[in-house]
Amino acid sequence: MRLTRWLRPWWFPIALLALFEAYLRVVVQQSDALAPPSAALRAFIGLIGDGSLLRATAFTLGSAALGLLIGTALGVAFGVWFGLSGRAARLSLVSVEMLRPVPAVALIPLAMLVFGFGLRMEIAVVAFATFWPMLLLTQGAVTQVDARLLEVSRVLGLSAWQRSVKIVLPACVARLFVALRLSVAIALVVAVTVEIAANPNGMGYAMMIAQQSLDPAQMLAWLGWIGVVGYAVNALALGLQRVVARRMGAAS
Amino acid sequence: MSLLSFDRVAIHLGGREILSPTSFEVGRGEFVCIVGPSGCGKTTLLRAASGLVTASAGEVRRHGVRVTQPSREVAFVFQDYGRALLPWRTVRGNVALALEAAGAPKAQQAARIDSVLAKVGLAAHADKFPAQLSGGMQQRVQIARCLAQQPELLMMDEPFGALDALTRQNLQDEVARLVRDEGLTVLFVTHDLEEAIYLGDRVIMLQANPAPGRPSLARMLPVGIAHPRDQLTTKEHPEFLTLRRDLYRYIEHGHHAAH
Repeated sequence: MRLTRWLRPWWFPIALLALFEAYLRVVVQQSDALAPPSAALRAFIGLIGDGSLLRATAFTLGSAALGLLIGTALGVAFGVWFGLSGRAARLSLVSVEMLRPVPAVALIPLAMLVFGFGLRMEIAVVAFATFWPMLLLTQGAVTQVDARLLEVSRVLGLSAWQRSVKIVLPACVARLFVALRLSVAIALVVAVTVEIAANPNGMGYAMMIAQQSLDPAQMLAWLGWIGVVGYAVNALALGLQRVVARRMGAAS
Repeated sequence: MSLLSFDRVAIHLGGREILSPTSFEVGRGEFVCIVGPSGCGKTTLLRAASGLVTASAGEVRRHGVRVTQPSREVAFVFQDYGRALLPWRTVRGNVALALEAAGAPKAQQAARIDSVLAKVGLAAHADKFPAQLSGGMQQRVQIARCLAQQPELLMMDEPFGALDALTRQNLQDEVARLVRDEGLTVLFVTHDLEEAIYLGDRVIMLQANPAPGRPSLARMLPVGIAHPRDQLTTKEHPEFLTLRRDLYRYIEHGHHAAH
């Protein structure tokens, strides 16, 4: 009973894959653009075997994670500052609103000039892309912290640092996790985009190579794998959020 | 010298006069209750006394020094305990916040927390979160946090206003006992006349809508009933009844005068 319930959400995608497989094998038969899922799976096993899967995944995830770390740390720090200080928020408003709409991928040429190809330019672009949502969502969350808690921190004589770390950040941790999960997704998208557009490393570049060498099976293998990685990263963030919520006294 | 003095303190908020110039002194170890109808500025007066609000005119002085911002020497018990406690910290963690703010060494914290929790009868609940406690117990946590601060002055803003009658009586007696044991000086805001007389050494009565010839400070009455007091006998004490009648009459009179 439990097994069938657990399997239920998988029937539809499995049926879809089977349909796709049959369509390619029976109707199309030969294609340079598409390959049946079974061929993609074989290509995927090949990628595991020659180590390129691990290498490219590590590069993309590593640069996405480092970029996210920088973007999040700066975004949260500035967000707390702007959220607590009305003056800082007013003074920063114009700069934020002018810089924020710049698409992160439009920075790729500049980042390439400054950092060259490789890890650093990809980290920079990811950090830029994740900084803005973290900044705005943190700032919004901080302004929503109950004024009473800020008064408690004044009456107890907490320092500005203690107030931020012991009162403000814990008070908006639920909203910060929403921002973080959003930024995790952005980080992965931007990292792969940078690799497709410019950086000769990682999963995005590997997929481009497969496409250019007219190997649709391998290209689809990468595509599927990127989807799996994205799902796993999001699940990880969700799990982390649950653990933190439980430790902070949420009803389990 | 008195511990706390109000020197012609007036407070305007949003262009409206909340408190007309008010002067009084509070001596060390005194329990002063402030009563009055809602909107008479009693909470604002308390916030000015603790430095959360700055007086528009006149000054509040503690030990002769002008009060401009909150101090660790002055603890504040808020009415809405649900909003004043950190929901993500246990009872112990909430009390620890006061010690962390004061920079107390980690090694001493546990013993001090245990001691204040024992004083307010929460020793068995140290590791629970506020949401797992009743309203009365949550208010005890806030009182414990204030005691951990080791203040000389305790400000209480309608601390028992949201509690049921029985819990309220228990807490009144406990606070009276704690205050005497710790030698605290208290400013206690309430809208309940009986509570004010029962707890106070002095009752200050405020009236709403101050105007020329109608100052905020309407009455100031000493309460001469000996401590410790008792919920039954004190409330049948002739002086208690006289004071209560006096204050009630005044409220009615003030009410008619306002019309």
